[in-house]
Amino acid sequence: MRVWKVMRTMMKSKQQRQIFYIVPYGIWLLLFVVAPLILMLFQSFTTASGHFTFSNYAAYFGSGTYLRMTFNSVWYAFLITVITLVISYPTAYLLNQLKQKQFWLLLVILPTWINLLLKTYAFIGLLSKTGTVNNFISLWGIAPQQLLFSDWSFLLVAAYIEIPFMILPIFNSLAEIDSRLSQASHDLGANKWQTLRYVIFPLSMPGVKAGIQAVFIPSLSLFMITRLIGGNRVITLGTAIEEHFLVTQNWQIGSTIGVVLIAAMIATMLLTRDRTRKNLRK
Amino acid sequence: MHKKFRWSNLYLVFVFVLLYLPIFFLIIYSFNAGDVMQGWDGFSLKHYTELFVDTRILEIVVNTFLVALLSSLLASIIGTAGALYIYNQRHQLAKNIFLSLNNILLVSPDVIIGASFLILFTVVGFTLGFTSVLLSHIAFSIPIVVLMVLPRLQEMNPYLVTAAKDLGANNLQMLSRVVLPVISPGILAGFFMAFTYSLDDFAVTFFVTGNGFSTLSVEIYSRARQGVSLEINALSAMMFLVSLLLVLIYYFISNRSSKGKKRGGTNLVMPATEGL
Amino acid sequence: MSEKQVPIIAFNQVDLSFGDTHVLNNVDLEIEAGKFYTLLGPSGSGKSTILKLISGQLTADSGDISFEGQRVNDVPAEKRKVNTVFQNYALFPNMNVFDNVAFGPTLKGMNKTEIKNKVKEMLNLVKLSDFVDREIDELSGGQQQRVAIARALANDPEVLLLDEPLSALDYNLRKSMQYELREIQQRLGITFVFVTHDQEEALAMSDWIFVMNDGVIQQNGSPEDIYDEPINHFVADFIGESNIVDGIMKEDYVVHFVGKDFENVDAGMRPNERVEVVLRPEDLDLTSIENGKLVVTIEDQSFRGDYYEITARDDDGNEWQVQATNSAIIGARVGLTFDPEDIHIMRFNESEDDFDARLESYEDDDEI
Repeated sequence: MRVWKVMRTMMKSKQQRQIFYIVPYGIWLLLFVVAPLILMLFQSFTTASGHFTFSNYAAYFGSGTYLRMTFNSVWYAFLITVITLVISYPTAYLLNQLKQKQFWLLLVILPTWINLLLKTYAFIGLLSKTGTVNNFISLWGIAPQQLLFSDWSFLLVAAYIEIPFMILPIFNSLAEIDSRLSQASHDLGANKWQTLRYVIFPLSMPGVKAGIQAVFIPSLSLFMITRLIGGNRVITLGTAIEEHFLVTQNWQIGSTIGVVLIAAMIATMLLTRDRTRKNLRK
Repeated sequence: MHKKFRWSNLYLVFVFVLLYLPIFFLIIYSFNAGDVMQGWDGFSLKHYTELFVDTRILEIVVNTFLVALLSSLLASIIGTAGALYIYNQRHQLAKNIFLSLNNILLVSPDVIIGASFLILFTVVGFTLGFTSVLLSHIAFSIPIVVLMVLPRLQEMNPYLVTAAKDLGANNLQMLSRVVLPVISPGILAGFFMAFTYSLDDFAVTFFVTGNGFSTLSVEIYSRARQGVSLEINALSAMMFLVSLLLVLIYYFISNRSSKGKKRGGTNLVMPATEGL
Repeated sequence: MSEKQVPIIAFNQVDLSFGDTHVLNNVDLEIEAGKFYTLLGPSGSGKSTILKLISGQLTADSGDISFEGQRVNDVPAEKRKVNTVFQNYALFPNMNVFDNVAFGPTLKGMNKTEIKNKVKEMLNLVKLSDFVDREIDELSGGQQQRVAIARALANDPEVLLLDEPLSALDYNLRKSMQYELREIQQRLGITFVFVTHDQEEALAMSDWIFVMNDGVIQQNGSPEDIYDEPINHFVADFIGESNIVDGIMKEDYVVHFVGKDFENVDAGMRPNERVEVVLRPEDLDLTSIENGKLVVTIEDQSFRGDYYEITARDDDGNEWQVQATNSAIIGARVGLTFDPEDIHIMRFNESEDDFDARLESYEDDDEI
């Protein structure tokens, strides 16, 4: 009961209340938001023996390997984003026309609540040499192919995982468009495709941007999927980081790549930020 | 027009089949009498029995849920405190700064969170294991609790606080009898989201788990690297049921709060791209 | 023997600004126990601010606020013996009617039976006895109103503050609530301080009115005093309908306006002092040109149910509002008539005290 007494006196004024709230929250902020990032930044500027240095960055930007890896990673992320966008936009558009929108949307979201590992594992089963797809094509006399551990399998699985994250923001964006706008457009003589191209698509851009942001950045950081599906053929920034931290124990270069990834993330967010003036939304 | 209708339906069907095929594929093969995900050797429950006597997996399941429960509980408390703090901020600038800081962990790739937490724990000299995983889970769950509770605070009629004080309530009574009950749907939603984030997490846990401790996601990863085992399929089926349950709960929670729904769209939040 | 009681609430030179806005300008006021007071004025006049200073929601920049002689500026809201009925009711949505009304008593630590009786008593007072177990979202606006009143009164406050509580209600409900509130106040005998911008409401309910504008109390007095003898243009305009024209007090009991001299009942001013002349529309009558004191041309009229509201213009261009029981013909030239007692004179910048003093000085003359 003494705890209550203390609490009661502490809560006497708004000032004191604020202190009461900020202590746990602030500790979390400092320890787990600010500190880790700063520590990572420091690590990227340190040698193994703890001295300040630029050598990590020099090694990174100077070497062909790292740059090539970065370029590949960005390229893969780009491909994944394009594939998901191409599949998701029509889906979101068509879903928006349906009556039971909420229900279908829930169906789209449900897979995201299933553990990622399991979904990836499913593809191992599907694509392995003794897997279903090979089984299927062998019916037509084609020899079992090495489907796993290739660029394509990686892109496929990554896109599969990311599709719902692209559908949702685009769907939301489309749903917010006043339906009378398409009516007006038809009234003025445009057909469905023209309406889509000149009216709907531009208005859905905020959703598209949000979707790109939601897919591109994680695609750069994938590492579990690359290991399980891509094998050693596919290396993303995420894989490289994991490799350096957990395998080769080179935390310095690992942090450097981490900083690069963070920079890429900030750049993406700036490029895809919503520049439209929002009305005051609560 | 009629023809177009058919094509678009077909496309949607195709997309949904694509989305769900792998999952059902997993579940179907969990009943396969054989040991590979190929062909069909007859119906069998042997993989399920295998699953239920696998003490290692069972222990890991318990651990996973324990971490999820504890972390979401603590994250809810700290997150609610944070939301109250931010709500009470007078200056818009301070509010924005804290909100941005709050969202950093939500938008950062898991790899970065995992790696940076690993650095943190090592620098501090903290041993990796159950506690480091628990602390990390609390850490990345707090932001979502804040995002679930803060809108409720902003929706709340501010005069409720004035009325409570007018009627003689001190700060503690005002909080416990008026504010917290009114925002409790938000706290509940936050708790639920935190629970889900924790259950699903792979990447962050992978970095900070050390050698002894393991969660479901990490364990499945290890096993999957070794190849196909239909016991995992059985596990998947069970976890699919759990996910179904979670989604249903989520659907009810988000529908009870019909205020603040964007026109036509949805407020549905998805678990972050965990483990990617 | 009339002993002056210590006022239950007193403001002494209370001043308050929000940033650049000077909300209250060195306000003095006194509130006696047991009466129904109204703070009346347009938006931004400072009336709600005064209420919040009384309840403790706001703190004054300077000046003293006292309860029964004791300075209470630093006493927090939850400790003051004052309760508020808020404009949007602010009922706790997580509690039902009973729990809302019981909130204050529960905090005080009363036992279960006491609380139950108190709640019952309060709900009876506001005529909602059957609503004890209802949830808040099941109630209509008027019902929520009453629960808010019951909740505030359950605390046995010495002063009840009401911040425009009736503004969200429809016309009929508003009228009946005005009666009920007055009734409750008289039955309980406690002090009510009521804020409104509706002057009819203020005139109907109050024992005493403070008319406010721009952070200053323009006039305070009984409804009749304020209505019959506004002391400045704002009050004359705000309360009831008024026709206000410029005039000159030639000498005692003679006032000159729109080019003529008229007999009136005011005195005590300087000869040929410039004043404002107020005539209420209901005191004006239409008559033939010969019998009229003024000649006007009818411009417009509208039917108001119990009278015709007629707009007319005199030859000098002044507009006159008249309330007549009979209709008039638009465009006709008619006579306007009134009694000397109906002419009310307002001096520029005369304070209430000066007005009262002047009144006394020449009213005594009449009694001779």
